[in-house]
Amino acid sequence: MSTMTKQRRATFAGIADVLIPAEEGMPAATQVDVHKDMLDHVLSLRPDLADDIWRGLDAAEGKPPQEAAANLNTTDAAALSAIGLAASAGYYMTPKVRELIGYPGQQSRPDSNPDAEPEYVTNGMLQKVIERGAVYRPTPQKL
Amino acid sequence: MNTKANKPPKVADVLIIGAGASGSIAAKHLSENGFSVVCLEQGGHVDTSEFWGNKPEWELMSQKRWHPNPNVRDLATDYPIDTSESDVNPLMYSAVGGSTILYAAHWQRFMPSDFRVKTMDGVADDWPFTYEDLEPFYDQMDIEMGVSALNGDPAYPAGKAAPLPPLPIGKIGMQAAEGMNKLGWHWWPAPNAIPSKPYRGRNQCVRWGTCLTGCPEGAKASFDHTHWPDSLKNGTFLITGARVKEVTLDAEGLANGAVYIDRNGRERHQKASIVIVCANGIGTPRLLLLSESGSHPNGLANSSGLVGKNLMMHPYAAVTGYFDEPLESWLGPSGQTIQSMEFYETDASRGFVRGAKWQVMPSGGPLGMRSAYGGKPLDEAWGANLHRNTKKVFGRAFEWGIIAEDLPDEANRVILDPTLCDSDGIPAPKLIYKNSDNTKKMIDFHLERAKEAMVAAGATDISATPLMRDCGWHLMGTARMGTDPERTVVNEYGRTHDVPNLFIYDGSVFVTSSGFNPTGTISAIALRAVKNLIENRSTQKVAA
Repeated sequence: MSTMTKQRRATFAGIADVLIPAEEGMPAATQVDVHKDMLDHVLSLRPDLADDIWRGLDAAEGKPPQEAAANLNTTDAAALSAIGLAASAGYYMTPKVRELIGYPGQQSRPDSNPDAEPEYVTNGMLQKVIERGAVYRPTPQKL
Repeated sequence: MNTKANKPPKVADVLIIGAGASGSIAAKHLSENGFSVVCLEQGGHVDTSEFWGNKPEWELMSQKRWHPNPNVRDLATDYPIDTSESDVNPLMYSAVGGSTILYAAHWQRFMPSDFRVKTMDGVADDWPFTYEDLEPFYDQMDIEMGVSALNGDPAYPAGKAAPLPPLPIGKIGMQAAEGMNKLGWHWWPAPNAIPSKPYRGRNQCVRWGTCLTGCPEGAKASFDHTHWPDSLKNGTFLITGARVKEVTLDAEGLANGAVYIDRNGRERHQKASIVIVCANGIGTPRLLLLSESGSHPNGLANSSGLVGKNLMMHPYAAVTGYFDEPLESWLGPSGQTIQSMEFYETDASRGFVRGAKWQVMPSGGPLGMRSAYGGKPLDEAWGANLHRNTKKVFGRAFEWGIIAEDLPDEANRVILDPTLCDSDGIPAPKLIYKNSDNTKKMIDFHLERAKEAMVAAGATDISATPLMRDCGWHLMGTARMGTDPERTVVNEYGRTHDVPNLFIYDGSVFVTSSGFNPTGTISAIALRAVKNLIENRSTQKVAA
């Protein structure tokens, strides 16, 4: 069966929390709901991940999450990789996690004055490079 | 599709195969000089709104839909490539604009010695022209693209200034530059084909930092933006979704068009008086090899036996430095911030010839960094270490990327795969490509120097990536140019020695690879070639 089920979602949640636990001041994966709508969102954008994820989750069903993750890592790395990508992609898309790691997302921050002399010119850094001289070998100009 | 006519001319003056960098330049200049032009492109148009760089899902989509490796992307418009015998995966994109849709727009010139490798260093071959011969065409391409750069780089002879001031180098560029100054090594704010100010209808770069997965701002100088609007206005007939399977010849042995398969699966023949192949360093030899015939039993224009040989792909290595202070290292351009040619020229005492260009680029978002952890023990890649690594690395790291010159070797080659085919049943290319001892020694040397540069810049920890597999952006050398028809495929203007009205304008014609991103040089060479064709139109042999 190639669709999400309650069981698969629960298995995913368990493994996601093994991979992304509540440690180092960061929340666990399920504390920011990566196993809920976010997982569906990730799969809607990356349907290519589904087969690997379903296979891994079905193999892990009923096992303790830590043991399931360790088993997959040795027996089906592609499945664990897909589960890990879905979990971490969802995790790092959540605003709370982004705030905690200081990531505003990719930003539109244009240079407000592109004609201004850059700092490396005004502070003399670049002048030192110029003073060190040419770093190319001249060649005969005509064949 | 073309905006003026509904049907292509029955016999075009010029048929161009491929709408990437060199094909775009040829189409624009030929059409504005009165030639009727048809261009066949296997991909489609990409709309800026399709890119994810300004959305939270950007990194997730970068790993599949907008991955530069066609074997990963696996779109119907891509052709598969057998890389089972290659140290490097080739990267490209099929669309109007070609691989410039996904390039980083590092707009480099080769240095003078790059054209005189045999004379200066006793290896490979010299090019049939010099840096000075190409310089006016570099200058013109700077203007056509809207290059942002600072004039006066001591890695080059004095020349004209680029049309736009340099882009900001950001905290990562400043950090790296301070390290280079401590060591007394060369660095310079890097040139980019990304506008620092609004330019010819394109927006100013706003620093999304996602150039390698498409510019959502429509700022980056990809050829769909810079050249195709003018070309279409001039009347060029652009046919997308056209997969070319053969260049055809007339009874006189002149190229008279090409057979392609359209998206309805129909086989069509576009006739032309002149044919220019611009399908990149893999697609071009593939097409020439596919176009074998009784008069060209080893592939079209292949009497030298060199079509497909001397493939060069630029091995790429990197050193990443981790810093205590936040560097906003997700911020663009990406693009490059600063570059160094300190170790570019040959120094025989190092035990290898030639050298490499270095550049500093942003390191992206938190998810991309995870890709380096594949295959590691569970606890090392995940768990508490995931959080520790993210805190250590994210926003506080940058890399010195190293583009090593790849010398030509006939054993490195493109052939037709005996079994693998594209979605239209056309044989796919196979690569046979190994890194040389010279490359390995060069990479080892440069990695050590780049580590020193990171220490000098204040890095608290360093990691090195000796050779990346997904680094084959630069596809060169597989239909090399020169004067001797027995040792080269085309002349200095891209005309094949065997078929006088068949031309090649893409990176296939490179004699050597340099250690630079090649699109600026591909473009200058294509411009020089097409101007020569226009000037000599009255004496050019054409198919009847």
